Amino acid sequence: MPGLLLDVQKLETTFKTPEGVVHAVNGVSFDLKEGETLGVVGESGCGKSVTMLSVLRLIPSPPGKIVAGEASFLGKDLLKMSSEDIRHVRGAQISMVFQDPMTSLNPVLTIGRQLTEPLMLHVGMNQKQADARAAELLSMVGIPNSKERLKDYPHQYSGGMRQRVMIAMALSCNPQILIADEPTTALDVTIQAQIIELVKRLRDELGMAVIWITHDLGVVAGLAERVIVMYGGYIIEEAPVKELYANPQHPYTLGLLGSLPRVDEDEGARLFSIEGAPPVLYEKPAACPFAPRCKWAAEKCWKENPVLMNVGPEHKAACFVDTKTGRYRS
Amino acid sequence: MGTYIIRRLLLVPVLLFGVTVLIFGMLQFLSPVERSALYVRDIPKNDNAINGIIKTYGLDQPLYVQYWRWMVGRTDTVTGKRTGGILFGDFGYSRTASTTVNNLILTRFPNTLDLTLWAVVPVISVGIWLGVQAAVHQNGFIDQAARIFSIIGTSFPTFVFGLLMLLIFYANLQWFPPGRLSDWASQIVYSSSFHHYTSLLTIDSLLNGRLDIFWDAMRHMLMPILTLSYISWATFVRVTRSSMLETLRMEYVTTARAKGLPENVVINKHARPNAMLPVVTLAGFQVITLLGGVVITETVFNYPGIGQAAANAAAQLDVITVLGFAIFNGLILILANLVVDVMYAFIDPRVRLS
Repeated sequence: MPGLLLDVQKLETTFKTPEGVVHAVNGVSFDLKEGETLGVVGESGCGKSVTMLSVLRLIPSPPGKIVAGEASFLGKDLLKMSSEDIRHVRGAQISMVFQDPMTSLNPVLTIGRQLTEPLMLHVGMNQKQADARAAELLSMVGIPNSKERLKDYPHQYSGGMRQRVMIAMALSCNPQILIADEPTTALDVTIQAQIIELVKRLRDELGMAVIWITHDLGVVAGLAERVIVMYGGYIIEEAPVKELYANPQHPYTLGLLGSLPRVDEDEGARLFSIEGAPPVLYEKPAACPFAPRCKWAAEKCWKENPVLMNVGPEHKAACFVDTKTGRYRS
Repeated sequence: MGTYIIRRLLLVPVLLFGVTVLIFGMLQFLSPVERSALYVRDIPKNDNAINGIIKTYGLDQPLYVQYWRWMVGRTDTVTGKRTGGILFGDFGYSRTASTTVNNLILTRFPNTLDLTLWAVVPVISVGIWLGVQAAVHQNGFIDQAARIFSIIGTSFPTFVFGLLMLLIFYANLQWFPPGRLSDWASQIVYSSSFHHYTSLLTIDSLLNGRLDIFWDAMRHMLMPILTLSYISWATFVRVTRSSMLETLRMEYVTTARAKGLPENVVINKHARPNAMLPVVTLAGFQVITLLGGVVITETVFNYPGIGQAAANAAAQLDVITVLGFAIFNGLILILANLVVDVMYAFIDPRVRLS
């Protein structure tokens, strides 16, 4: 039984905006075991990125604020440790890759400079050792001529190459957890596949745990062991990946799976989509946040916000209604 | 980088040509008699003599001939002496200053340059520092204080601020006098024992080892320096602040934090260089404005810079002098832009390597 690496409990994050306080993350709890790959899916704005940024305390504050919860990493609460201590976790033990490789590298610093920084900071290498290691890292992520390319600037790299650099940078200090925040969204489909393969290979070689944030359920299927689905700052379903695909319980998950384009479908068929838009919550909802978009919504759904409940072995969902029968769960 | 600078350098003559054509066009508003001041000191009253001058210098010739003569001057076939010719730095004779425009620039410009240097260096360094601090601690104490000073700075006319300074520091406290030097210092400076290495009074006095003269020059410059820096400082802080705020929202700043870098490295090494491009542009503009002569400030403090001379000339319709200054200003503008372009390349690899 692999040990527990990260245990997040009842995390709540809010953002102050001119229109009011937005509740972006509302009591999210999840855990991550050693070497495990966890998929986090949901539409844009459902709180998946903010959850992960909150864990590393990277949300801009103000306007963001972590109002409650804990995030225990190897027994220490990331949310309570000093800012000096969390610096030694960031990039060294938990590292992140971001969505848009065109903006996540600094345009005025060389790739080499950006790659060697964490090595010198966390591993304590000198410039020469760090340069050598940075070249190794670039080769590891499949960039040829790595020694020369260290002298280049980000604009001399293509989008896919930059994401490879980001991955090399994230893995440079052998972290226990890699958080990948939609790392393939901004890339071409062929490059997407390459990046996913790359992360898979490195995960298996280095044995780290991965949290893969995406809105693409297709990507998650081939990568993750367990999936959590988020909506309106809540986790609304959590299951092992096969179980989730075979037996989705929450109407939102059903909708997400239904809106995946399939190869065996009629070409003329319209792609299914969930009506409406995800909510922006200015106060914690008293009803199910998905009810306005849900065709199963029953009386109870408008009166109470469902919590995650066990619906099968290792399978939880936050829904009163059993979508197979259309009746309340017993 | 090399090709980038060469390309920019090749533009310089083209721009200069444009400037001269424009100013030559303005010269055509003057009558041939008035234009003769480009070549001769005293314009005779006698009609015959005037016509002689117009003939000699071709002031009745087609425009392109006149333009060419204006550029290279006229060489006397007998004596071989050249008169006029702005390419050789001969801008004609200033009747208000009773000397050549050339000479006037040479005596006045070092004073303006001296003032500019002492005003610009503190403004840029303090302005950038304050702007960065204001952005990093948004809505904090420094930010609020800087904002209030910015508003006052941008809404306070120079002449009011200058007058206020004069009232307090000259009339009441008698700490800082207007003008350029005290009489005793002038006597030393214009004696043969004082070497003029750079023509910049503050630097020359240091090179001559005369701290007393340096201090005297500084005492005269302090009020104009404060007036100039107060106004441009406000703009500097504002531009740096907003540029820095924008940069701090960039994803690569989050990347830098996610790497575990200390906050001062994130700010000073990752964010600040990216925020500097608009600041460099602004610095270029400020230096150009200051070097072109700050008419109001120099006039209020009776400081013998190029702005005061230009104001005098303009007030007495001495067009030749004013246009001479205009050419000189154009030259400064082109050079300052060149420096800004080079600094761009220095800061941003995307400019340097494209």
